[in-house]
Amino acid sequence: MGQLKIGVYVCNCGTNIAHIVDPDAVRETAAQLPDVVIARSYRYMCSNPGQEMIIKDIQELGLNRVVVSACSPRMHERTFRAACKAGGLNPYLCDMANIREQCSWVHADRLMATEKAVGLTRAAVNRVRWQEPLDGLTAEMCASTLVLGAGIAGLTAALELALAGHPVYLVEKTDRLGGNLARVDLTAPYLDSARDLLTERLEHLRENPNIKVMLNSELKNLSGFIGNFSATVGTHNGHEPPEEKTFHVGNVIVATGYREFDASRVTHYGYGKLPDVITSFEFEQMLRSGRIQTKSGRAPQYVAIIHCVGSRSREFHGYCSRVCCMTALKYAHEIKSALPESHVCDVYIDMHAFGKGCEDFYRTSSEVKTLFLMYGKNEHPVIRKADPKDDCGMLIEVDEKLSGERVEIPADLVILMVGMEARPDALEVARLVNISADKDGWFIESHPKLDPVATTTDGIYIAGTCAAPKDIPDSVAQARAAAGRIMARIAKGKIEIDGVFAEVDGDRCSGCRMCNELCPYSAIEFDADKRRSHVIPAACKACGACVAACPSGAIKGRHFTDQQICAQIEGVLA
Amino acid sequence: MSYEPKIVGFLCNWCSYTGADLAGTSRIQYPPNIRIIRVMCSARIDPTFVVDALAKGADGVLICGCHPGDCHYSEGNYKAMRRFPLLKKLLQSYGVEDDRVRQTWVSASEGQRFADVVTDMTERVRALGPSRIHAALLADQRER
Amino acid sequence: MTDKKKLQIALYWGAACGGCDVAVLDTNEFILDVAAAADIRFWPIATDGKYMDLEALADGELDLTLFNGAVRNSENEHVAKLLRQKSGMLVAFGACACMGGVPGLANLTSRDEILTTAYLNNASIEPGNRTVPYVETDLDGMKLEIPALYKRVYKLADIVDVDYFVPGCPPAPDQIKNVILAVVKGELPARKSVVGASDRALCDDCKRSKTEKKTRRFVRPFEIIQDPEKCLMEQGILCMGSATRSGCGVRCPNSNQGCRGCYGPAPGVADQGTKFLSAIASIIDSKDPAEIDEIISRLPDFAGYAYRFGMPASTLQRSHRS
Repeated sequence: MGQLKIGVYVCNCGTNIAHIVDPDAVRETAAQLPDVVIARSYRYMCSNPGQEMIIKDIQELGLNRVVVSACSPRMHERTFRAACKAGGLNPYLCDMANIREQCSWVHADRLMATEKAVGLTRAAVNRVRWQEPLDGLTAEMCASTLVLGAGIAGLTAALELALAGHPVYLVEKTDRLGGNLARVDLTAPYLDSARDLLTERLEHLRENPNIKVMLNSELKNLSGFIGNFSATVGTHNGHEPPEEKTFHVGNVIVATGYREFDASRVTHYGYGKLPDVITSFEFEQMLRSGRIQTKSGRAPQYVAIIHCVGSRSREFHGYCSRVCCMTALKYAHEIKSALPESHVCDVYIDMHAFGKGCEDFYRTSSEVKTLFLMYGKNEHPVIRKADPKDDCGMLIEVDEKLSGERVEIPADLVILMVGMEARPDALEVARLVNISADKDGWFIESHPKLDPVATTTDGIYIAGTCAAPKDIPDSVAQARAAAGRIMARIAKGKIEIDGVFAEVDGDRCSGCRMCNELCPYSAIEFDADKRRSHVIPAACKACGACVAACPSGAIKGRHFTDQQICAQIEGVLA
Repeated sequence: MSYEPKIVGFLCNWCSYTGADLAGTSRIQYPPNIRIIRVMCSARIDPTFVVDALAKGADGVLICGCHPGDCHYSEGNYKAMRRFPLLKKLLQSYGVEDDRVRQTWVSASEGQRFADVVTDMTERVRALGPSRIHAALLADQRER
Repeated sequence: MTDKKKLQIALYWGAACGGCDVAVLDTNEFILDVAAAADIRFWPIATDGKYMDLEALADGELDLTLFNGAVRNSENEHVAKLLRQKSGMLVAFGACACMGGVPGLANLTSRDEILTTAYLNNASIEPGNRTVPYVETDLDGMKLEIPALYKRVYKLADIVDVDYFVPGCPPAPDQIKNVILAVVKGELPARKSVVGASDRALCDDCKRSKTEKKTRRFVRPFEIIQDPEKCLMEQGILCMGSATRSGCGVRCPNSNQGCRGCYGPAPGVADQGTKFLSAIASIIDSKDPAEIDEIISRLPDFAGYAYRFGMPASTLQRSHRS
């Protein structure tokens, strides 16, 4: 280790610390500790003169460790690290003792607070002995991006990146671009044509040489880390086995979308048995064909639209699929405009009109004289075939909540607003790219509020409905957000990897593999040939889970080593 | 003669340590018996630290992490959640009283809660009397 | 030590079972080579000898002592100190000497409880018989002394300065050969090292396949049909191999039994039990506190399991129940 020369600086913080903790007592005790060559007390250590003091002492006294007893490290660790760096000392050779937020500000007894401050300072001095100079690493950032899924989210993201001049591999499982949006006629609430929305995207896409479209293709393997992924994609071009291509990308955007709920699972609705009970997607097809009609070819006199099919239900999926209420209202509009004499009945639980323009849309829907019937959550209207004497094809019984009555309404055509659910291959996709899915199969974001498009695996982003049911504006927003994040990374050129990460000692690792599954970032990989695990520094976030769990003690948590922590324990208990 | 308990606290940087700082900025008072050691995540807390603290003279050990589901590192606190009951079982075999070692969840916004937890724990540990582990281990070296 | 002079060695047992001495004999023909190359000056299990012979030796007259067994009573301590004085090199031989061993589990109870159970409160004591042992007894005007039972068990290094540690319960005969040869050739590592063992955990030498480490249930070996090729922990069977030094030849997992940890912790690990606790708890596949409790309830005596060989060497060393 060489000769340790520790400098201890006790901040008074004006009177913030000094009015309860006696800084001189702390300074005097610190000065007596082994290897402490200088201990000072000063009014404001974070001020320029305070920092200059540290810099000067490093240069003139040859300090190789610095302890600052002051405010919380969350406040000024960066400041004092910068001061050390300016003095020529590695910034990781500095530690702080929190004698303000966690001492002078919370205790009234001067004697005990000072004793505590002394203990905390001693702990910091003990720790700093074991701290090591750490340097960050840099890695390359490949400017290519892999986009999985060519729905509205995938297309938007691909275009965003390609227009900025970056290469994109757009991988689509089916033989067509457009995803679920290609199956839709008009979109709510402004009744734009989905085809127009998509056509605009697709034209730009075709013109752009940066985008390589791979249809009938699936991701087979992804390895590496942010900036340095290797992706293998298999394309089904009629021959078996599928043709595989491997290429490098820096980032991945997962935009694999959703699939609709299978309406036949709700037996009360007779989907699959009653010919004129159809799903929303089937109705969209009808709209595109230009004719709204029953199976027998007649224009329906009574149309019922049932909300929350497979959603908000204890039996199927508990969540709300977000888009269906407004889509149902869209249908009411379209039916009324195509068949002005028809009666449209909207059978719903709640009307979720949360977005821009949606409440207005709701209002105008009632103005076109749609009948609204409310039913209870976890109940189901029952659809049955009508008798020949009834003037309609089917009858729907509903326990109507607002009137409190059980009503029966006629229906020639019933549209089931099927909810969104995770695709059956969602878990496989998640596994391939090392992200997680929640209990409903939706991919999990890095932080639900503050980081909705990133995931816990650096370099893997999620956009659109694969993360949770959402509408087009939100899907597009997320796609652009993910693209934006990636462009920012590419602009930086290189990845800076913080010097604090876990390290496996290859001489001590026995290959027990206790660690590999513990890492939420998949940063600790097992090398089957060497029979050892190792950490990918770029992927490691330094949480320390593997360090604590390793039964051989073969993993070192840089800057938070066992030795340092045990030294702190000794320091506070001395 | 009353003694002053010495409690070692292991707090995770993102939630509980920040919560403790918030208690500070809010000037919420609590007993000065606790000495806090910062780790990045409660998952870093090796049960070895807990027994080490007890062996070195701690009268109590407090572990704080983020509430389940809120861990900054996604699942770190679940590791802490799994280790703790088994550690408790072990400590029971060693005859360490239940109230001496505690694990709880404190979020970044729970300054008052942190102060309450520390106050409660300090009183419980005070009621138990000093831990004689450290002294006993030293005595073992001299007396047979 | 000159070429001509034979190595002077002693083997002794403290609170022991005899297994370590048997292991030395299990080196088979090698022991004959040892007997030819060395003078075995003191080995109670195999040769006749009295303590006064030991006391008569000059300091350092013994080149090597292999001390097995823990220190449980005053006799163990007395002889340990004597052997330290008389030996140039003192080796803690076997799990008991290194870590306290199985006798060390007595540290979970107390001397009073032990004596009460043995002499007062059990079914084989005649009613009314309150005979208990005393260290000193007067008999016909003579004072008889028996060793004093200590309050707790100690590992050898708690009592005297130890030069090297040979772990195992018992140390594998091959390792015993290696150690003795190393002593003879003067090829030992730094003082205070563990010798006769690997620097990695058992998993390094275990042939079973290791894939995903997650468990929802801990089972006893008889509760499932074991897959002989797969890691035991991955089948829910407790195996301390990942937390234990290798060198034993993986004899327990190779016999379809989980490792019991007798070779002690991996290098640099202060507490084998808490480290193992950290590992196996971390891999419990649950996020629900009630479920976790249920899974853990399948480990009724974790202290006894994790510290079967190393209670006195653990951080807390013994029960601190008042």
